[in-house]
Amino acid sequence: MVSPRAVAAEVLVVGGGMAGTIAALAAREAGARVVLVRRAPGATALSSGAVGVAPDPFALPGEPLRAARGPLEAARRLARLRPDHPYAVLGDRLEALPDALAFATRALAPLLAPPLERPRFLATSFGTAVPAALCQRSQAAGDLLAVGGALVVAGLAGHLGLDAALVAASLERYRARGGPPTFAVEVDAGLGELGLLRPHELARRLEQPGAAEALGAAIRAALPAGAGAVLVAPVLGLRPEAQVPERVAGAAGIAVAELLADVPSMPGVRLQAALEAALAAAGVEVVQGAIQGATGPGAPIAAGATEITAARWVLATGRFVGGGIARRGTLREPALGLPVQAAEGREAGVDLAARPAASLTGAARVGPQPLLSAGLRVDARLRPLDARGRPAAEGLHAAGAVVGGHEHASDGTGLGVAILTGYLAGRAAARPGGGE
Amino acid sequence: MDYDVIILGGGVNGTGTARDCAMRGLRVLLLEKADFGVGASGNSSGMIHGGIRYMLSDRHVTALACRDSGYIQRIAPHLLFRIPFLMPFTSRAEGATLRDRAAWYATEVYVGTYDLFQPLKHGKPSTRLSAEELYRLEPGLRPGLRGAVTLDEWGIDAFRLCALNALSARAHGAELRTWTAGREILAEGGRVRGVRFRDALTGEEGEARAPVVFNATGAWSPALARRSGAAVPMRPGKGVHLTLDRRYSNYGVILSAVDGRQMFVMPHEDESIVGTTDDDYYGDPDDVEATNDEVEYLVEGAASLLPGVRNARITRAWCGLRTTIYAYGPNEDALSREHQLHDGAAFGRAGLLSLVGGKLASYRAQSQEVTDRILALLGRAPVPCRTHEEPLPGGDEVPDPAALARAHPVAAPIAARLVYRHGGRAREILRLLEEDPRLGLVLCRDEGILAAEVVHCVRHEQVRRLQDLRRRCRLAVGACAGLDCARVAAQLAGRELGWSPEQVRAELADLLDAGWRERRPILDGAQLVQEELVRGAHAAAGAPW
Ligand SMILES: Cc1cc2nc3c(=O)[nH]c(=O)nc-3n(C[C@H](O)[C@H](O)[C@H](O)COP(=O)(O)OP(=O)(O)OC[C@H]3O[C@@H](n4cnc5c(N)ncnc54)[C@H](O)[C@@H]3O)c2cc1C
Ligand SMILES: Cc1cc2nc3c(=O)[nH]c(=O)nc-3n(C[C@H](O)[C@H](O)[C@H](O)COP(=O)(O)OP(=O)(O)OC[C@H]3O[C@@H](n4cnc5c(N)ncnc54)[C@H](O)[C@@H]3O)c2cc1C
Repeated sequence: MVSPRAVAAEVLVVGGGMAGTIAALAAREAGARVVLVRRAPGATALSSGAVGVAPDPFALPGEPLRAARGPLEAARRLARLRPDHPYAVLGDRLEALPDALAFATRALAPLLAPPLERPRFLATSFGTAVPAALCQRSQAAGDLLAVGGALVVAGLAGHLGLDAALVAASLERYRARGGPPTFAVEVDAGLGELGLLRPHELARRLEQPGAAEALGAAIRAALPAGAGAVLVAPVLGLRPEAQVPERVAGAAGIAVAELLADVPSMPGVRLQAALEAALAAAGVEVVQGAIQGATGPGAPIAAGATEITAARWVLATGRFVGGGIARRGTLREPALGLPVQAAEGREAGVDLAARPAASLTGAARVGPQPLLSAGLRVDARLRPLDARGRPAAEGLHAAGAVVGGHEHASDGTGLGVAILTGYLAGRAAARPGGGE
Repeated sequence: MDYDVIILGGGVNGTGTARDCAMRGLRVLLLEKADFGVGASGNSSGMIHGGIRYMLSDRHVTALACRDSGYIQRIAPHLLFRIPFLMPFTSRAEGATLRDRAAWYATEVYVGTYDLFQPLKHGKPSTRLSAEELYRLEPGLRPGLRGAVTLDEWGIDAFRLCALNALSARAHGAELRTWTAGREILAEGGRVRGVRFRDALTGEEGEARAPVVFNATGAWSPALARRSGAAVPMRPGKGVHLTLDRRYSNYGVILSAVDGRQMFVMPHEDESIVGTTDDDYYGDPDDVEATNDEVEYLVEGAASLLPGVRNARITRAWCGLRTTIYAYGPNEDALSREHQLHDGAAFGRAGLLSLVGGKLASYRAQSQEVTDRILALLGRAPVPCRTHEEPLPGGDEVPDPAALARAHPVAAPIAARLVYRHGGRAREILRLLEEDPRLGLVLCRDEGILAAEVVHCVRHEQVRRLQDLRRRCRLAVGACAGLDCARVAAQLAGRELGWSPEQVRAELADLLDAGWRERRPILDGAQLVQEELVRGAHAAAGAPW
């Protein structure tokens, strides 16, 4: 048997998604020695790639897009409505949101576009537009409020994955709210048989020499007069360094943006890759492995072939997709065995975690579902709480989707929560008691 | 009068009768409040069994049922699949008691007698298996079993059986309206004169006239009858099935639930089905959902012989309402042991026929009987029934999947699924690829759904809503819950049916809602992870923001 390699750090981050990465980078920036353990890519790598902080819950359905509140104000409003939401639980610390978003933008500089005062309205393959606080550079030009001229939705000839005509017709409805006129075109990039390729296969095809340029040239040839920007399927490469979006736009001679993705999400894959690159650049040691049956910070813990000792931990293990919360008859938190709460309206409680699935869900699919927003209960300093509401362990913080009370699908706060809580938890873990 | 007969209900009895009536030259209108098979029919176990349980009391019932099973094989050979069942010999005691042995012997004799009928339905004779043979066939069974007898039965895709009967009726001139409910049966001077209906999608209301109305609305019929001044006595019973991802047995396994009721686990496509519960149900038939108790009851029962089931990923729980005859009255003919035909004359509704009960397995014979009655009510001369001779759409010249896969750019397993669902029509579907190669896109790798199949169903199989494709080609019913297929399928259907972008999204939301209702009681383990994914992927489609 090989004896495990021993590593000592000040901060151990468990989880390599958005929350864990931001926590590790924030702790690192505060000067701590940081080790990050992660098992695999989680929800972050499957997300559309745009960062939802919070849609304004008080926005009126037909109101002009320009009237939308900035992320902080929208988050404050959501916090007022939803006392179990992390934004509400954080209290005054919610005000750090702009700092956290700026920090994330810096950390992921080449990938993310700088934030604006207002959300960007980005189009999806369903023909809807969703507000995003941050997005990738490859998505920014599609902001409905930023297009100077007409927005052209370009479908790939020979591929059914994107119904350009439907998306364009649907986006046209945003004109009344200040969106651009929209058109659909079909482009044939001459890349051979594409019809049966899946999104990642298309993305890989476009990374090949000349392919992105061919697509760009085909777009240029198909452009109607007055076009201000072009939207394409979210398949512009798998690796950020392949620079597919830039190459396509260069050859097209016009701003080109990707639609937001569903699953599998190529922008999500690129986001995950950018996170890994940022960790490496910042000097965070990344360990491949899983933490299980841990007792908490302080004691050495095995992860893969490494044994890690750190006095402070940030648990950023995600929700069900990430593996931070699991259900096998009852809801549990596998890494440390912390109590899981399922919120039911205002009645949040750990005792609900053992309830049958049907009684933790509502009959209407759309809307909050206690089962799907289950997670750890934390205090304003992001310390997980035990069943009696006291901090569960000394030196332990939690961030991201493992924290309960929110769910991107029902409240639009996914990566935004991950960035804010990751930022706060990382700093708190790096400077115990300091600055608080 | 507009029609000779109006049929209410698009279950197997409504569609089967519509077909028979249309084939015998009647002018038929069929109204289905939702889609073909959504009631008991599609949510049944789908077993075309031969009535083994009447063997001791009414041998000729068994003979009739077996012969009819044979007919169904003749008219829809592609849609049937053989399910050999194993009936393991269990014993509570360490060594088998004399009583156990006697019970096993009795089972063997019983099943052996059924063998006499098996040739009628092209079934195989039963076999006695030693313990060693049993475990070789079914290694997942719990230890300690003493052997088994086999029992050969047939299964069918009941949703498609209903759709095919409906399509055949349409081809013979019947008019079919789905998503259109009969609101009231109209009567005048002691006779029915028609039906008032409402189209749920367009809101259109209207009246259709006919001298005969056949009420085949299953568990809904007491309420409809009451609204129309008649009565249909019945005892509705709720039955729940579970679908498990992957196969937990190679064969069907008959076992006992905790309360001694008979249950089964059977392989179906790449899944296992566990069924069923049976409890009285007095709620709203539009509101049936499986409960946690029912799920646990089924898992425990199945795990008693197949312990692996305890770790299974349950992908959905689905329910139907049996329409059990209220009290067994005197029956004129033997087949009606399982069904009754009520004549509305007693309520001043002459010309109204209401069906109670009526198994899926004997739908064809029931439909024949009902059609005979309808002809009599209309005062027509008898016309011979041909529903046992003429194949259902696709039931003739069923192609060899391997040959199809060689001739077209599709993988063999996809071709096999196509042939299973569409029989001879699989050729037409694959011809779509010649005009538009993009339709070769595999929308769902779990269920083997081609874009071309979606287009074909929308064009030719009376699809009005996206969720109808759950029943035509298993769209979004598998373990993936629509993750990959739902959006593109919605776009394809929308293009064919001229939906606006808002309609496409509304239909997509409705499809996902239907899946959510079946998964809500079982969300656990990997299926809960999948739910998070599906919700995340579709959030932007119907987000309130
Ligand atoms: C399909 C989908 C689409 C979405 N789209 C959007 C969107 O468009 N915009 C948006 O804002 N939000 C979106 N969300 C929500 C958002 O993706 C999540 O809220 C966010 O990514 C959570 O980040 P995280 O870092 O907390 O978790 P994850 O990204 O899931 O990361 C968890 C990490 O923890 C690791 N881990 C777990 N357990 C252990 C263990 N025991 N030991 C070691 N490592 C472990 C995992 O391997 C993984 O690396 C979407 C979610 C889904 C599922
Ligand atoms: C759990 C379970 C398992 C079963 N297993 C088997 C089996 O393995 N083998 C077997 O032979 N039998 C089985 N059965 C029995 C069999 O399914 C039924 O006997 C048979 O399907 C009844 O068909 P039907 O057409 O009469 O009713 P249904 O299929 O219930 O059809 C009634 C239809 O009427 C429609 N409707 C309702 N109200 C209106 C209205 N006002 N206007 C228009 N339409 C309306 C409904 O939407 C529905 O589609 C099972 C039943 C259940 C519940």
